[in-house]
Amino acid sequence: MKLNGYLRGIVVAGFVCGLLMSSGCRHRKPTASSVSPTDIGTGGAVLSERPDSEGMRITGAEVEFVKNVLFAYDSFQITDSEVAKIKAVAEFMKANSGVRLVSEGHCDERGTAEYNMSLGENRALAVRAYLIGLGIDGARIQTKSFGEEKPLETGHNEASWSMNRRVEFGLYRK
Amino acid sequence: MIKKYFIRLFFFCFISAVFTANAQVVVSKAGSPKCALDLSGFRCSDGPSEALFRQVLGDDLKRSGWFDVIKNGKGSFSVQGTCREAGGNLTVRCQVDNMLNGAVAMSKSYDGKGAQSRKLAHTVADDIVWAIKKVKGIASTRIALVGNRGGKKNIYICDADGANMMQITHDNVICRFPEWSPDMTKLIYTAYLSGYPDVYMINLSSYERRTISSSPGLNAGAAFSPDGRRIALVLSKDGNPDLYVISSSGGNLVKITRTPYASEASPSWSPDGEQIVYVSDKSGSPQLYVVGSGGGEPRRVSWKGSENVSPDWGPDGRIVCTSRREGKYQICVLDPSSKKEEQVTTDWADHEDPSWAPDGRHIVCSKTSNYHSDLYILDTLGDHPVRLTTIQGEWYSPAWSSK
Repeated sequence: MKLNGYLRGIVVAGFVCGLLMSSGCRHRKPTASSVSPTDIGTGGAVLSERPDSEGMRITGAEVEFVKNVLFAYDSFQITDSEVAKIKAVAEFMKANSGVRLVSEGHCDERGTAEYNMSLGENRALAVRAYLIGLGIDGARIQTKSFGEEKPLETGHNEASWSMNRRVEFGLYRK
Repeated sequence: MIKKYFIRLFFFCFISAVFTANAQVVVSKAGSPKCALDLSGFRCSDGPSEALFRQVLGDDLKRSGWFDVIKNGKGSFSVQGTCREAGGNLTVRCQVDNMLNGAVAMSKSYDGKGAQSRKLAHTVADDIVWAIKKVKGIASTRIALVGNRGGKKNIYICDADGANMMQITHDNVICRFPEWSPDMTKLIYTAYLSGYPDVYMINLSSYERRTISSSPGLNAGAAFSPDGRRIALVLSKDGNPDLYVISSSGGNLVKITRTPYASEASPSWSPDGEQIVYVSDKSGSPQLYVVGSGGGEPRRVSWKGSENVSPDWGPDGRIVCTSRREGKYQICVLDPSSKKEEQVTTDWADHEDPSWAPDGRHIVCSKTSNYHSDLYILDTLGDHPVRLTTIQGEWYSPAWSSK
């Protein structure tokens, strides 16, 4: 099932790349409707240098709408149920051009910590790729993996694990 | 044939029953075959340094896994000698006799400070192992590990018997995944000093720290090549976690894998430095792959188990890893050339982050049961696991020094 998901991702992404290249529009930003970033996965955009300082983390009522993007076990595929959460952040970043994002990837406690570092990073990157697909400049988004180091819930069951397999949005303003 | 087994089984049960009836404890000697080593001819003067020396030497010889240490004068090998402290100096004479052919297997003298009883005992134990078995001992080796005492994960090192635990990092940030330089003078590890996971190298005598990699995104999983000149690590700076090799000074970056739809992790070098084993989830689950250390086409080497992670390539060419079996993480050893595979742990617990001892026989790993993680030393030849960490706290990510 998961394998199918990956294969589909690769096939669709390859098709999309081919389409973009053949039409000679390599610089055209893909729009949300022409490309489904869910299918792109994380492959692609080179990361921008980290800023000297991320600024102040925005807290309180302004970011009350922000919700963690959740993932299936050992997966960094963005599922349909999570798309609205990313779109809401994209809208906020469009309306506030000075705002930067740190996309923080996390895992549940299962599996080894070292693999979970890479998996968490891929979750953070998947959200970044989706935001780029929605028209947000990648230079405004850093990724940071915490692997299994910072669980939100401390239980040892699926109820906790499902909340811990997540990307948190850290929104910052200079 | 089957009948013969039944007879044996019956006989065994009968014998067991007899002994149980006599209320004697009969320990069936499961474990590796050992040669009897007699220590009764080794004389120590009365004193704390000498007593410690003798204790540590005996423990080391048992822990090596090669001997039944006895004191009845009936060993196939016999250790003769003395240990004496005078004026703060410890003098040890040690001779190992082969009782089967009358040959002298080893004859050596040692000098050290009285305060270094442990260290001296480790040296003597390793020399005895070498003299009799012609294999590297592990008594003088060290283990780097991660502990969470004080609430934050820091890097520690200890001796192979768990003694001399020393805290190496004192930063108020998460530090993880220590790996030794081949000459044991440095460690590389991942830490969040900048707020992001970056790779650092720390000198164990000066405690001077240098940044090895702080690219945008992830920097993790760094491992020294056997000659110490290169470092394999995982970076996501190109938009995806991939495997890279850099020189140990931090330059000459070479990208080894190109999997835009998968994550790579946990590189470990082959003994000759020609290949790297690592984890990739490009098949849909994390599995082990081997690739040339200069690049090339990776080939998958793990097939059993729904996940195979945390590989460590041992000195004799075998790879130890964590394999998910029936929902639990177990330690497995696989031979990439013969494709033979062996499961080392079977108990109902999660075993992670295995690391080979330089003897190619023992493995240190973390074991989590009841949500508590300690480090254990496993024996691939069948001796029982030994708990390494006895100090309170959670302990993870062990790395055994290469000598």
